[in-house]
Amino acid sequence: MGIEEELGPYVVFTIGPVEVTSTVVTTWLVMAFLVVTSYLIGRNLKMRPNVFQNILEWVVEAIDGLLKDMVGPGSRILLPFVGTLAIFIAAANLSGLLPGLKAPTTDINTPLALALIVFFSVHYYGIKRHGLREHFADYLRPIFLMLPIHLASELARTISLTVRLFGNMMGEEIVVSILFLVLPLFVPVPMMIFGIFTGFVQAYVFTILTITYLAGAVKAREG
Amino acid sequence: MDFITLSTLLAGAGITIGIIVPAIGQAMVAREAMKAIARQPEASGSISTNLLIALAMLESLAIYVLVVVLILLFANPLLKYKVGG
Repeated sequence: MGIEEELGPYVVFTIGPVEVTSTVVTTWLVMAFLVVTSYLIGRNLKMRPNVFQNILEWVVEAIDGLLKDMVGPGSRILLPFVGTLAIFIAAANLSGLLPGLKAPTTDINTPLALALIVFFSVHYYGIKRHGLREHFADYLRPIFLMLPIHLASELARTISLTVRLFGNMMGEEIVVSILFLVLPLFVPVPMMIFGIFTGFVQAYVFTILTITYLAGAVKAREG
Repeated sequence: MDFITLSTLLAGAGITIGIIVPAIGQAMVAREAMKAIARQPEASGSISTNLLIALAMLESLAIYVLVVVLILLFANPLLKYKVGG
């Protein structure tokens, strides 16, 4: 069974005892790309934007609009976190289409890390908004018997975020590699085009779910 | 029948059967969305957005099946107990 060597993350180099895998290296490249691009575009903001600034403004406005819709007032504090999640996941999913790069989201560690970040950030922002006692007291409403259901749903949300993102990206990569065995340059292309679409869709769904969970924790509550 | 053959066959059957229910669910959602758009074309943007989210939710159920089948095929944890099939 040698296929997991092809489909799993591979070690690129080692620093002493630490093995640096393809996931980490590709994540570095995605980070560098996002940071450099945003810096270059944001350096000279004009009132009459050029194409790139326009694109960035559209993305920021779209996410801000989603936040305002679903969280209501006080949503601006969530914008950097949610925006970074959305842009990073989209860029990471698309990076798998570039030759030689393996998308970091095809390694289950990356979606798991992102889902755990969302899990802890829900509690963080909830405590920040409502205070420690009030945030956790909400788990006992409307009746204290709801507590195991809330805990189970927290666990299920984290796992489902992970598996959804990982499964979609890994499935696409497996199909592309199998099509690659049929006829290299041409046959995988339709699947890769579909992969662009699902990369964006999965980033969007992850973001929407994150906003939903944050809204549940952060929304103003009546008594 | 040895272990590898059986697990491969069941993986193939598993993904085939496991896809049916999410597919039917997605089709039902899409049907209702189409009807809603036909009834109210000006709401099609909002309907499409919600449709996409619902489809992604249902898709994730199919992805769970896929992940289990992938684990069975490629990273079977019981394989080491059955060395030699």
